[in-house]
Formats: sequence, C-alpha cells, structure tokens
Amino acid sequence: MAQPLVKKEDDRDDEVDYSPFLGIEKGAVLQEARVFNDPQLDPRRCSQVITKLLYLLNQGETFTKVEATEVFFAVTKLFQSRDMGLRRMVYVIIKELSPSADEVIIVTSSLMKDMTSKTDMYRANAIRVLFRITDGTLLTQIERYLKQAIVDKNPVVASAALVSGIHLLQTNPEIVKRWSNEVQEAVQSRAALVQFHALALLHQIRQNDRLAVNKLVSSLTRGSVRSPLAQCLLIRYTSQVIRESTNDTQTGDRPFYDFLEGCLRHKAEMVIFEAARAITELNGLTSRELTPAITVLQLFLSSSKPVLRFAAVRTLNKVAMSHPMAVTNCNIDMESLISDQNRSIATLAITTLLKTGNESSVDRLMKQITNFMSDIADEFKIVVVDAIRSLCLKFPLKHRSLMNFLSNILREEGGFEYKKAIVDSIVILIRDIPEAKESGLLHLCEFIEDCEFTYLSTQILHFLGIEGPKTSDPSKYIRYIYNRVHLENATVRAGAVSTLAKFGAMVDGLKPRIFVLLRRCLFDNDDEVRDRATLYLNTLGGDGAVVETDEGVKEFLFGSLDVPLVNLENSLKNYDPSEKAFDINSVPKDVKTQPLAEKKATSKKPTGLGAPPPGPPSTVDAYEKLLSSIPEFASFGKLFKSSAPVELTEAETEYAVNVVKHIFDGHVVFQYNCTNTIPEQLLENVTVIVDASEAEEFAEVASKPLRQLPYDSPGQTFVAFEKPEGVSAVGKFSNMLRFIVKEVDPSTGEAEDDGVEDEYQLEDLELVAADYMLKVGVSNFRNAWESMGVDFERVDEYGLGPRDSLAEAVNAVINLLGMQPCEGTEVVPPNSRSHTCLLSGVYLGNVKVLVRLQFGLDGPKDVAMKLAVRSEDETVSDTIHEIVASG
Amino acid sequence: MILAVLFANSEGNILVERFNGVPAEERLHWRSFLVKLGADNLKGVKNEELLVASHKSVYIVYTVLGDVSVYVVGKDEYDELALAEVIFVITSAVKDVCGKLPTERLFLDKYGRICLTLDAIIWKGYLENTDKDRIRRLVRLKPPTEF
Repeated sequence: MAQPLVKKEDDRDDEVDYSPFLGIEKGAVLQEARVFNDPQLDPRRCSQVITKLLYLLNQGETFTKVEATEVFFAVTKLFQSRDMGLRRMVYVIIKELSPSADEVIIVTSSLMKDMTSKTDMYRANAIRVLFRITDGTLLTQIERYLKQAIVDKNPVVASAALVSGIHLLQTNPEIVKRWSNEVQEAVQSRAALVQFHALALLHQIRQNDRLAVNKLVSSLTRGSVRSPLAQCLLIRYTSQVIRESTNDTQTGDRPFYDFLEGCLRHKAEMVIFEAARAITELNGLTSRELTPAITVLQLFLSSSKPVLRFAAVRTLNKVAMSHPMAVTNCNIDMESLISDQNRSIATLAITTLLKTGNESSVDRLMKQITNFMSDIADEFKIVVVDAIRSLCLKFPLKHRSLMNFLSNILREEGGFEYKKAIVDSIVILIRDIPEAKESGLLHLCEFIEDCEFTYLSTQILHFLGIEGPKTSDPSKYIRYIYNRVHLENATVRAGAVSTLAKFGAMVDGLKPRIFVLLRRCLFDNDDEVRDRATLYLNTLGGDGAVVETDEGVKEFLFGSLDVPLVNLENSLKNYDPSEKAFDINSVPKDVKTQPLAEKKATSKKPTGLGAPPPGPPSTVDAYEKLLSSIPEFASFGKLFKSSAPVELTEAETEYAVNVVKHIFDGHVVFQYNCTNTIPEQLLENVTVIVDASEAEEFAEVASKPLRQLPYDSPGQTFVAFEKPEGVSAVGKFSNMLRFIVKEVDPSTGEAEDDGVEDEYQLEDLELVAADYMLKVGVSNFRNAWESMGVDFERVDEYGLGPRDSLAEAVNAVINLLGMQPCEGTEVVPPNSRSHTCLLSGVYLGNVKVLVRLQFGLDGPKDVAMKLAVRSEDETVSDTIHEIVASG
Repeated sequence: MILAVLFANSEGNILVERFNGVPAEERLHWRSFLVKLGADNLKGVKNEELLVASHKSVYIVYTVLGDVSVYVVGKDEYDELALAEVIFVITSAVKDVCGKLPTERLFLDKYGRICLTLDAIIWKGYLENTDKDRIRRLVRLKPPTEF
C-alpha cells in the first residue's frame, strides 16, 4: 500500500523523471525569498520562489512566526512590479501566509489601491485578499467600495464581494446586513454564479426572518433561476418554508409542492435530485406526492454515474425507514446494486433491501449478502450486521437462517468493533427470541474457542453463566468453558472459573463434575484464578457432599450487589488500606435520582453484551430488596410492579421529590425519593402526609419516616396502603411533605440544635389501571394469540370521539392500558385511515393478556376502535374492557 | 462547505492539500483516511470516473486524473452532487493547465499555475468559479469574456 505520510521529496531514488521540487528544503527556499528584495525584480524568478513556498505550505509544512513575517514583508515589495502573473501569485501567497493583525497594515494600502483600480481583476483579487486578512475595523472604510463591487458589471468582481460577504457574515453580521439592497439586486443578475452567490448570501442575511424568507422563495419560484446550483439552493429554502408552514397550519394544500414537482423535470440532474430528496423529506406525505420523486430516484439507480447512484440509494435508504412500501418498487434495481463496484453504494443497497424486504425474500437476500461480505471493509459490515439484527427481530421465524449467517461471519476475519457488533446482535436475538437461544449459545461457544479478544471472551463467558444453566442440556457447554481455563490468559481463565461455578450452583446434577474441574484450577499460576476457585469450592460445598446450594450462598456469589456500583466505587476509592477490613455495609445505598428524561433515554438504547439489561429487571430487583429489608412491608408478599418515578415537584425547587408506586397483591407502597437542595438546611423526621379521601378503597397501614435529609444527599420515606386483594383499585392521593428544618452553619457544616416544624405542598399522585399492568412483550404475537385461545376472548367496539390524528388515539389507548406494543405496531403510518395495534402484558396476579386494537377514522376526525382481548382469566379480559370504557 | 481538496500521486504521496474549517489536529487523520480510501478503491478506475463515499454527514468524491488522484470533501450544501460539480471543475481546469492528462512530473511543473487555478475555483470552502475558460483568464488576471 502507499505510504501516505511520506513527503514528495523523500521519494524513490530511482525516479527517472526528476521532480522539480526534488530535495526542496524550507531553509533554502526562505533564503531564496531574498530575491523579493532585489532592486531589479525578476518576475519569473520571484514566481518560481513563490511556487516553492506554496508547495511547502500545501504539503502541511508550517513557518515559524519569524519566518512568516520575514517572507510576508518581502512579498509586499512585489507590489512594485507591474507583471500580471507575479501579481496573481502575490495575492495567493499573502492569503496563504495569513499575516497577523499588526502586520496587515503594511499591505492594506497597496490592496486598497488595487481595490479602487481601474483593472477589474485587481479589484476582484484585492477584495478576496483583504477579506481574508483583515478584521472588521478596516471594513467600515472600504464598505462603500464593497457595495459597489456587489453590483459590479464584471461577474468576477461581484462574486468576489458576495463570497466575501458570506464569510464576513460570521464575524461582522451588522455590516453585511446593510448590503441587503445590493445583494437583492445581484440575485437578479444575468450571470449564473453571481446569482448563486447572491442567493446564498441573501438567505443567510434573512434566515431568522421567516416572513422575508417566505417572500424570497415566493418571488424566486415564480421567476427563472439560471444556475442549477442556485436552483438547488432555492429548493432547499423552499422545503424549509414548507416545513415551517405545515407546522403552522394543518389544513389546505401543501404550498410550493408544485414547484418541487416541476423541478423533477429540470434538465440538470443535480436539480432533479435535490427536488426528489426535498419531496421525500416532507412531513405527512401522501403516496401521490411521493411517487414522482421515487420514480426519478429509481431512474438514477441505474445511472452510469456512481455519484448519482449513490445519491439515489442514500435517499431511498432514508425513505425506507418511513415509507418502506413506497421503496419496494425499486427493489429489483436495488438488488443489481449489491454487486456495484463502489462499496458505499452496495452497502446502502443491502441495508435498504433489508428494511423493505418481506419474509419470503429473506433467504434470497442472505445468499446475495454472503458473497458480498467478503470484500467490504469492517465499517460497512457493521452496518449490515445491525440491519440483519433488526430484520431478525422483525421476522422472528427467520431466526435460523439469520443466526446462521451471523455465526458464519463471526468465524471470518474481522476487527474488534465488527466482532463486537456480531456478538451483541446474537445476544440480543437470544434474549428476544427464545427459540434462538440454544443455537445462539452454541455459536458463541464456538466463537470463544478461537477468539482473540479478551473483552469479548469474558463477556460471553459471563452471558453463558446466566443463560446456559437454564437450557435443556447445560452439560454441553461445560467443555467449551473449561477449555478456556487451559488455553487463555488469566482474565479469561478467571471468567471461566466463575462461569463454571455458576453452572455448579444452578445445576445440582453437574455439581460433582464441576467441583473436579474447579479443584484443578486451584493450581493455576494466577492468584485471581486460584482465589476464585477456592472461594467457589468453599462456599458451594466442594468438600464432597453434593447438596442443593443454599439460596443465601447463591445470592452471595452471584446475586447483584445491593449497593449502587457508583457508590461502591467511591467508597473503595476513599478506603484507606489499614488493619480494619473494608465493610460493604458502610457503602451508602441511596442513589442520586437521575432526571426522569435522562432515565428514559438510557433505557431506550439497544443493549448488547457490553451493557447488561438496564431498567425494569435490575430496578425491580433493587426495589424488591429495599422493600423486603423494611420490616413493616415484609409481610406484603411478592412485589408485582414498581412504576417509573413520578415527579411531585417542579424542577429546581427547594426540595425535589418524586415517587415510585410499588404494587403488591393486597398493598400499595409509595416510595418518596426526596432531595434537599438548600445547603443551609438539614431536614429531620421527614414524612409525607397522604390524604386518600379520593381513593376510597385504600387504607393507610404504615408510614416510615426519614430520619435525616442533609443537603444534596437523597433519602427515602415510605407510606403503605392496604387495598382489596387482587383488585386493581384506582384513586387520587394528595401529598404534603412534613419535616423539622434546622439551620446549618455553612462554615462548619454543623446544624443548630433547635429546629422548626414545616410543611411543603407536593403535587397530587394518581394510581391508575396501567399501574397494575407489566409491560411484557411477545416475540411472535400471532403465535401467542392463537395459543391463548378464544375461551376468555372479549370483543367490543368503542367510539373515541374526535382526535387530532389516528396516531394520537393509538398512543392514548396504549398509555391507558400500560401494555407493551408488539412488532412495531405502535407506529401509525402518516395519513392512514385505519390501523391495527398489538399489545401484550401481564396483569396483576401474573395473568398474561394480549390485546388487538383496530382503529378506523369515522368521518373526518372521529376515531372508532374495536378492542379484542384474550387472557388467561375471564375477569381480567373484562377488566381491560372496563378500563377502556371508563378511560 | 468544501472541507478539503487533496491531490496525491499514484503512491499516495501528497502533492497538494488544502483544508477549510478542519482543525489542524484532524488534518493528518483526514489525509491518511483519504489516501487509504484511494489505495483501496482507485485501482483500475478510469480517468475522471467518480467514486463516492460518505462518513456521517461528510461526503467524499474522488477520482483519478492521469498519474494523480484527486479528492474533495464537503458537508452541508456540498453533498455528493455538489462535490461532483466541484471535482469536475477542478479536473477540467487541471487538464487545461497541463494541456493533457497530467503525469506527476507535468503536474509539478505546472504547480504554481495549478495553485492559482485552485484559488480561482474555491475560495475558503466555497465554490467560486466553475467555467474553464473564465478560470484560465482569472489565473492570468484577465477579465472574463462574456460580460
């Protein structure tokens, strides 16, 4: 391969055709630059020296401040020469040298003279140089000339001034804004490029004035714009106007659509493409509006110009996300692009096809992709892997061929990021598609047999430890895991020991054999591996007795830590190694509450191995532990659901409080997370007084106050209510924070002895039907629906009244029921008149529920809905209907 | 904005590089990225046949012209089609200066004039002139003929 960073002068010695710059050296060129000071200037020689200087600069060579100043001063002398060629070179080198502010003064008078010169070309170039090197102060002196230049007859002069204006707008907008009239005149210029530059500048001047932009677009779309480049700009500004006006008014025809559509017949391909792209990016497109754009893009797909093919496939790739059906017509052309010489085009074609393909075309596509994968770079392969993962989640029945594909590419050569993407995808598929679990795990096992990445090996071993023991035949994984103990580095060996121990703890039948293997690890030459093996053998009963592992031991070895990792990390950092052992009980258990929005954002991320499943499972585990450690709540039984935190205070108030609703079969516990944001206060004996007069079925049974709430250290107080067992009672609760406040001396941090009792009003809290529903998805809704049977099916129809859109109605019902949308049916295609949404969940009492919602527009705005429920319990099916009827 | 214009010889050595709005610390990365892109893809490509790539919101159009390869990088309004226009202007102007498809030697012989040509075509990241004849006149400080 080429050596990219070698300079030209280090070139091959056997170069027959010597370079004119062979052996060029900065010091020597700077010496040569002294010719600029000669009283008798030799223009030819001076030009040659400037060329050498440019060559050095263009190769990334830099001059020190002193060197640059010296050259710059010498160059200014060259203004004495009348030679045109040399003058042109002087303009370029001054720009390249970028003299500092205190040096510029040397050259400004010469440039100002050129700017007012009768020679047009001097004027144009002087403008360009002046703008490059001067600041705003000088501009006011030359503004008059600049305004004249903008409307100069010579297009070169006009363009120089206009482009200068575009740059100047960033630093001195107030000056450029004064040129509006001249720029407006230049927009009408007969010279194509002047029009292009003037339009760009005029739009930038007016971009914050929507009305002015609207007027500009209106007038220009009626007239004729000469330059295709300017026409492209106009299309962009037009689509911006359309976007903004559509937001304002929801009614009527789309303004300017006809203009965009007309541009699809323009003679310049650039304009056609720009118009097509602008159309595809409009909001709420109808298929009638979209079709002409797709048609021209389809034509471009078979263009002989790679740039056009790339542009078209890139745009169609985006369209496929919002209107997959519209793109299916292009699939045949797209398939031929898979073998395109340009790999960017081929990758885009593949990923588009994966988005638009149907279940029956998956196998054919996979065959084509297999041939293609071997000759593209890793970054493209990662894109393809991501697309295949999405496809597999969309068509779970195809998991076999897609999983095979992933395992095949996992065996081929590739870098870390690529391999990680594949492993992450397999893990996600194993988690989401139960049928894919066993084959997926075996593929991962085979991969670690020959994996060069420690990170991936340990992650897979950890994952095997979680999923392997739950499979039908856990013993088949042991060989793969134990091989790691023999063949890997210490990190992987330690990981393998832990995984083995997990199998031993979870699968009693395997225990004796696992103990034999663990004992062999006692002689490992790494202390971490030995320590782990010793710990597991001692705690799991490796002394020979094969008994069921105690739950407490399992919890100790493999359970999640009941302290937040971040707190543990901080405590360990602060731990001073001494005779006193580190006590994990000293680690604070309070977590600083994240803002709600942030939590939502993180839980949406797709997760692979690198990030264990966030959100519900781990949070519920943590809540369960927390609640069971409080004696008052220990008798409530198993926690069914914990809600996301609901804010009870505005942002940035004195006290920040949010509440988590914990649902038990016969009880509800409100966990109030409180934060004191006032450094000068210490709150004590903090409780929430709850008024449940609007929640008749609830009776308060316990309240657990918070002893102290110091500044910026969150704490919790709890209130528990009894409710009828198994009933999804609803109601409204009003809340008042009550506490004793003590002043804190900021200098010492000590609180005064006496405090004052105070109260702080919080927002009301509602317990709704959705609080009794767990969001649990199913991978294949149709299968689940069929297997649930019609025994407890309840079907009814509802009128939802006038709604802004179908999507709004669908969202409202999903939120009301609190169920998990399946197979992406929560997304309503724009302008649909009907839509089917599939939901799944588990209701209080662990009853599985499936819901099929069919929406239709009845009249212009009225939405009608047919609700079909199937569940494992008749009363739950009825309850769902009651929730909808009363919601 | 046109972020970069780069010329390299057939071995990947840089002949001309001009960056606009690219921080100095990122230039080395871009330089090696572009040269690698060319080494991977330009073999066997016909003269002036355009190749295209994109990285996030940045577009790259590149081609071969005689013994040299040419790369232009742009973002925002300078997408792949606008860059195709830019590279077309550049290649035709370079051919015009060299009188034919440039060999490396010819390119270096005409180096000064090529710098002036680039200066006339792109000004601080914006396409300024597109017409070959006009560019030729601008380099010689002659006014355009058509006005």
